[in-house]
Amino acid sequence: MPVIGIPVDMLNERIATKLEPDTMVTKLQQLGCDVEGYATLRRFACQACTWLMEITETENPPVECQACGVDYKAKPELLAERGTTEVIRMELLAVRPDMFDPAGLARTLRGYLGEHLGPVKYQLDEPTVTVDVQPELDDPQNPLYRPIRCAVVRNVELNEDRIKVLMKLQENLHWAMGRDRKRASIGCYDLSTFNCAQGVYYRLTPPDVPDFVPLGKSEEMTPKGVLEKHPRGIDYAHLLQGRAFYPLLGSYREDGSEVVMAFIPIINSEDTKVVPGTKDLFVDVTGVEPRLVEKILNTMVTALLELCPGSTAEKVAISVPGREPYLTPDLTPQEVEFDTTLPARRLGIEVDQAKVKELLLKMGHGVTDGKEGKVTVAVPAYRNDILHPVDLVEDVAIAYGYHNIVPSLVPTFTVGVETPRGALMNRARQALTGLGYHEVLTLILSNEADQFEKLRRKKADDHVEILHPISTEQTLIRTSLIPGLLDTFSVNTDHPLPQRIFEVGRISRLDDSVEVGAREYLRVAAAVIGSRADFTEIKAVAEALVRELGFGTGGVVRALAEGDEFEGTFIPGRAAAISGDEGIVWVNFGELHPEVLEKFGLAYPVALLEMDLEVLL
Amino acid sequence: MQKIQEIDYLVLTGLAQEAEPVELSVLSAKVGLDQAKVSAVFVTRQGAEIELEERPYFELSVGKKAQGWGPHLPERRIIEALKQSAEPLAMPEIAERSGLESKDVGGTLKVLKDKGWVEQQGKSLRLTEVGQEAAVSEPGPEERVFTVVAQSGRTVTDRELRESRLPVDDALKLLEERKGILDVRERVERFAKLSEAGRAMVRDGIEPIREANLLTPEMLKDGSWKDVRFRPYDVTAAAEPVYPGKLHPLVSVFEKTRRVFLEMGFEETESGYVESSFWDFDALFQPQDHPARDMQDTFYVGRPGSCRLPDEAMVQRVRDTHEGGGECGSVGWRYKWSRELSEKTVLRTHTTASTVRALAQKPESPRKVFCVGPVFRRETVDYKHLPVFHQVDGIIIDEKVTFANLLGTLEAFYRKMGFTKFQFRPAFFPYTEPSVEIFVWSEKKSDWVEMGGAGMFRPEVTEPLGCTSPVLAWGLGLERLAMFTYDLASIGELYRARLGWLKGVDLCRL
Repeated sequence: MPVIGIPVDMLNERIATKLEPDTMVTKLQQLGCDVEGYATLRRFACQACTWLMEITETENPPVECQACGVDYKAKPELLAERGTTEVIRMELLAVRPDMFDPAGLARTLRGYLGEHLGPVKYQLDEPTVTVDVQPELDDPQNPLYRPIRCAVVRNVELNEDRIKVLMKLQENLHWAMGRDRKRASIGCYDLSTFNCAQGVYYRLTPPDVPDFVPLGKSEEMTPKGVLEKHPRGIDYAHLLQGRAFYPLLGSYREDGSEVVMAFIPIINSEDTKVVPGTKDLFVDVTGVEPRLVEKILNTMVTALLELCPGSTAEKVAISVPGREPYLTPDLTPQEVEFDTTLPARRLGIEVDQAKVKELLLKMGHGVTDGKEGKVTVAVPAYRNDILHPVDLVEDVAIAYGYHNIVPSLVPTFTVGVETPRGALMNRARQALTGLGYHEVLTLILSNEADQFEKLRRKKADDHVEILHPISTEQTLIRTSLIPGLLDTFSVNTDHPLPQRIFEVGRISRLDDSVEVGAREYLRVAAAVIGSRADFTEIKAVAEALVRELGFGTGGVVRALAEGDEFEGTFIPGRAAAISGDEGIVWVNFGELHPEVLEKFGLAYPVALLEMDLEVLL
Repeated sequence: MQKIQEIDYLVLTGLAQEAEPVELSVLSAKVGLDQAKVSAVFVTRQGAEIELEERPYFELSVGKKAQGWGPHLPERRIIEALKQSAEPLAMPEIAERSGLESKDVGGTLKVLKDKGWVEQQGKSLRLTEVGQEAAVSEPGPEERVFTVVAQSGRTVTDRELRESRLPVDDALKLLEERKGILDVRERVERFAKLSEAGRAMVRDGIEPIREANLLTPEMLKDGSWKDVRFRPYDVTAAAEPVYPGKLHPLVSVFEKTRRVFLEMGFEETESGYVESSFWDFDALFQPQDHPARDMQDTFYVGRPGSCRLPDEAMVQRVRDTHEGGGECGSVGWRYKWSRELSEKTVLRTHTTASTVRALAQKPESPRKVFCVGPVFRRETVDYKHLPVFHQVDGIIIDEKVTFANLLGTLEAFYRKMGFTKFQFRPAFFPYTEPSVEIFVWSEKKSDWVEMGGAGMFRPEVTEPLGCTSPVLAWGLGLERLAMFTYDLASIGELYRARLGWLKGVDLCRL
């Protein structure tokens, strides 16, 4: 999860209750925020593009602008210091985008602290702007489908601080809800930079037109040029891969000529960008499905209204040829029928209906009485996480305070039962620790070299392979425990000899007969290294395990021969297997082949065994 | 009859046979024991049964200067040489005839002159009359003593010399000025005799106790151990450290975890490392575009690349719930669910895949199920992360359980694992509601430390699997618990571990 920094002063000035820093942290934790602590950030403003940058006290000042890329080593006068700001650092709470920014977080706190009960009312003025949408972009059956929803927010009076909050919010919404713009992307524009009375268009364009100045640049580029040359374009080019047409948002200048607002979902234009002093905003959200797009727009608009006191929101008409225009955003609450006895039953706390109502109001919901003792809960439009009444139960629990819930034990008696495999593993451990062997734990993921070549073992080609391994060391699930033991010896060459170790663990093999196509086998392997490690010792251990673990008395000892899985692993003539009915091998054991020792970097003889415990289950 | 140690017995009876005080070495030889042992008896019984007397004596040996002189002092050899010659002899001649080195001849001149044995004529010497006479008379005391000491080839005591009636005192006086001829050391001899009490003790009868190092089977058989005293050991002497064969410390944590849940009435469950996306994600209502399902975070399996799904009716219910909430009262995630994505195999990312399988297999209340085992995440390796780590997952299916019971169960588990202070904070997981994270108080860090997540399964999880009861669920990391238990700074120390550490971790950490 990304970590965000909430400016402390912006948060505090929006709540009436004065909270000590520690109390603030506690309250935020009680709301589910994963708070790391306070930090002081130094701020710098780019004089070339107005971008505000923040660094921690231990970091060096930026050498280039993160937004426009201007080089401060060449032009130090373009980097202006803007003092420091204190922030609360916390992990982004992905399910609560309405709490990503200081204003939204303050809204939640005001409810939780009881300063404001019930929903916050947001007024929406009638539309003055229409967006004309090319039908393909609004047709779910079309591969180029990317619906758009827009809003206008007036009197935002943006300054550097507010722009910084807005940009961070946008970035975090892109990450958390937009899946890095794959599912949705957001744009904000200075409404005064284009003549919106003439309308806004949202259409498809070929890659080579039009020329426009993308954000952070001074020269014009085509959409194709942006994808090839602009850093942001290179980062997100994959989103448009293979498309013949790209989505473009634009409007008109006073003279009627077209002005590009954004090449969606890649980058906005320099012409319509938001700057300190921007008074009115145009906001758009596009994405892969309308519900998500609407939720993000609701979050953006309500966040802006909270962030900029005195601002007002205005609907935008979305016009698709052949359809009735629809107006966005729609801040109508989502209504949920709610049984007020549910919180008490599910949580194990004593709350009556009045208390449940009060707790729901604290969480910003509207509550009206409904039928049969139920209530109707009006969930604010900026909440995206209420799928089921149980989600409201959680809101009730948070408002009640997890710290106020008294933990209690489960009332029903049941009998504990371990799996046969768990019991068997412990018997094997008991036997081997009793024989003076130390248990080790080695990695389950391994590779072909360790599993086969270094062991001089034939590849059966029935191992589980990982699709995208992190390293060449870990490409498969082990099919033998032996390499792990030898690896352990190789990192312990400075430890006195003899060394005796074992591992009890599972190996995997492909198996069509089970649902997932592979199954595990429980194994135990034991090994001794030292100048006197020999066949006799390991045979004694192998026979002890056969005797103690319940294999029965029918085992037959035979020398390993050509065709046996581990035939090459041991010194010829010094390896054996004990097998049961129908020749099923219980255990292989012997003195390790010198070539295997060399490959694992071992300078003393090793005798070892590997036993299959699966036959006992 | 008094029983005493064998050594004491020998010493006391040895002394009883002597009328006069006996010297230590004499007694040692007589009773056949080391002087050190006899001396130890003297010391322990001094003032009681034994009276000790210390007598000073001298030890004499040939000095450094006189090494190589043979049995006679140089003045004797010089007058012998002069006596043989009619003429006075020059120094080199004297040296040659006497067989002495010239420095010894020169060094003896003063003695010869003081005794009046020689007189000087120019550069030569001749015997005086006194000298003539001395050459045929008995040698002086110092010569006699020197000769005895030199001939003995060892250290000689003055007592030995006196016993031979040699004039030790005169000799030492005469040689006092002549350094380096005889080395004289002052010593003390210890003489012992029985005291009154000692004589009474011997008279009343004493009997030796036999001493032994080893208790032999014969001693046990014939009962002779009763007459034997086993020589005591130096009980403070170091013993070589030995270590019992041990479980791996992390396995000890797994086993303690299993024991705690078994004690609390849970049945254990298990499932494979290779899992379908269906059980790992879909059955848990994780939307198919959830970031946790990315190739970045999850190990997808290349072989077998896809797998079968369980019971078709159940799969359909899960699909419906994802797409539109199904019949459980949810709005669902509202997207098009893909069967193909559900069939993709992964290395299980949590042991919840095991417990949710157990839930689907038998969804009836009441049931408590747990699973301890490895899980796989595509993590970059660092001090906190490995691609494989271990979890304990648990579920409680019960008509009567509440969220408070979940907190109580988690608290009971961590209390049994040795923690005493707990905090529960809201958390958010796709498959539980309400969700909670448990924190334990660490004295060492003096801070709360997160141990794991829990919650009540959403109806979107339970109902498609046929379960209508509330289900409490949790997944707790075990490596973190182990790092606490064993004070480890890095998770890597748990794997590819040093044998020294594995052996050294004491058993009572858990």
